[in-house]
Amino acid sequence: MLAISTHELSKDFSAGRGRDRRRLRAVHDITFEVERGERLAYIGPNGAGKSTSIKMLTGILHPTSGEATVLGLVPWTQRRELARRIGTLFGQRSQLWFELTTRQTLHLLSRIYRLDGDDARRRADELAELLDATDLIDQPVRSLSLGQRMRCELAATVLHGPEVLFLDEPTIGLDLIAKQRFREMVVRLNEELGTTVFLTSHDVADIEHVADRVVVINHGTIIYDDQVARMRRSLLQTKLLEVRFEEAPGALAIDGVQVTPESDTVYGLVVDTRRLSVREVLDELLDAYAIADISVVDPPLEQVIAEIYGGRT
Amino acid sequence: MTVALATLRTAFLEAWSNRRGFWFQVGIMAANDVAWVIFWVLFFRKVGNLRGWDTHKVLLLFAILTTVSGTGLGLLSNSRRLGELIAGGQLDAALALPTNPLTYLLTRRVDTALLGDLAFGPVLFVVAGDPTPERAVVFVFGALCGTVVLVGFLVALGSVTLFAGGRGEQADLGFQAILIFASYPIDVFGGLTKLFLFTAVPAAFVTGLPTSLVSSFRWPVALGALGAAAFFALAAATTFRIGLRRYSSGALWTRV
Repeated sequence: MLAISTHELSKDFSAGRGRDRRRLRAVHDITFEVERGERLAYIGPNGAGKSTSIKMLTGILHPTSGEATVLGLVPWTQRRELARRIGTLFGQRSQLWFELTTRQTLHLLSRIYRLDGDDARRRADELAELLDATDLIDQPVRSLSLGQRMRCELAATVLHGPEVLFLDEPTIGLDLIAKQRFREMVVRLNEELGTTVFLTSHDVADIEHVADRVVVINHGTIIYDDQVARMRRSLLQTKLLEVRFEEAPGALAIDGVQVTPESDTVYGLVVDTRRLSVREVLDELLDAYAIADISVVDPPLEQVIAEIYGGRT
Repeated sequence: MTVALATLRTAFLEAWSNRRGFWFQVGIMAANDVAWVIFWVLFFRKVGNLRGWDTHKVLLLFAILTTVSGTGLGLLSNSRRLGELIAGGQLDAALALPTNPLTYLLTRRVDTALLGDLAFGPVLFVVAGDPTPERAVVFVFGALCGTVVLVGFLVALGSVTLFAGGRGEQADLGFQAILIFASYPIDVFGGLTKLFLFTAVPAAFVTGLPTSLVSSFRWPVALGALGAAAFFALAAATTFRIGLRRYSSGALWTRV
């Protein structure tokens, strides 16, 4: 059963004023479907059209052309009806009242969503426990750290039991631990309550840990749509190593590894994991050289997107 | 209505969360209002009468003005910030909720200082407005009509941002203009200026007509005040509703 369906959905904005005014297409003819219970990552670089898409799907923006339904409703004409059945969380905007406690915001939201008072109180306590926020919801929001606040934001977003959860860059600004906890909570909501998740993010780890499907948008157009596992196999085939040697290693050459010197003692290595594992490279380096420090990271999302884009043109 | 009251209650709780700051701001505004009262009393003691206006009538005007501004700008504080909220993309949070976004935004924030006005206005009416039950009812009616005109005017101006883009500067200009003109007796203005105050910047409906009604009630004037309130409420709701189709959610761009 479909949770989200779009057909040639487009959105234009105009830029500039007076004679310099010109039309810009932020989202261009996007067509995709999301099944109920799916966890979809909707990714792309800055200005790709992610937030514009999410805002059309939640009824915040009216499209220039095209069609879309969320839970069978047209978002921009049935916004209020839809809002009762979905939850929207913007990582860069808070829905909590800064000077009040989260519980006070939840109380107001229960009135807005017309929840029964006792049910809403019970639900707030359950969510606080599920999101590990029992100690937080009675503190003023202004006194919470960003990570703590995001847990409370999530509680506010799912108080009314939404069937679809729209998360727009929810982990932006969070530290590693807070990001990890947030991801676990989103997955738990999906697995325990069957909530469909539509996530936009710049963080590859969000995609890897939360989503089971990824849609890539660039310049307003969908350029990739596949299962995350398949994308990882086909596209995340490189790992980046930054190695700091105790002393200059001289000529450094490993088969299957692209080496870029950054200084006499610091080298950037791109490992092709189809040909050899990171462990093999580390073994070879540790055997042959005195190493001061090593970091291993995934290629940045922009690079993955560039690969996807390059592969399609 | 229940949601609006619940939102307003929460906004009040937020203002009340800093109690010392709350009472300080309310007190300062009330002191400022007292200073105005002293000014008008001294002024009319010197001048005597100005085109039919005396101390009594001008204090009545001031009671209505402070009540209107306390309600329209204190309780519904976002009425003057709507253009800025639209330009900054802050309608998103309201549009994500299953509620009327305009009502939610208007009740979302209370301006503590202007609650001092709201407390001061009725007290001034009781002290200097020769209150009788009938006059009190007309005072409430006039203040409500004035509030609706003020809020409607500011919302309509703020909603222009949805069509014209920018940062909502026009709403700020309108806010300054209507408050300045509403602070003075309507009869000190004449000719085209007076026409201006009944149309483009409807300050006459905010304080002039309500004051005249409380001074001497006439049905045609009451209907005029009611008609103006209905017109500006409708204009505000319509401009905002139509403009929402063009909302660009804080993008640096403006919707085509």
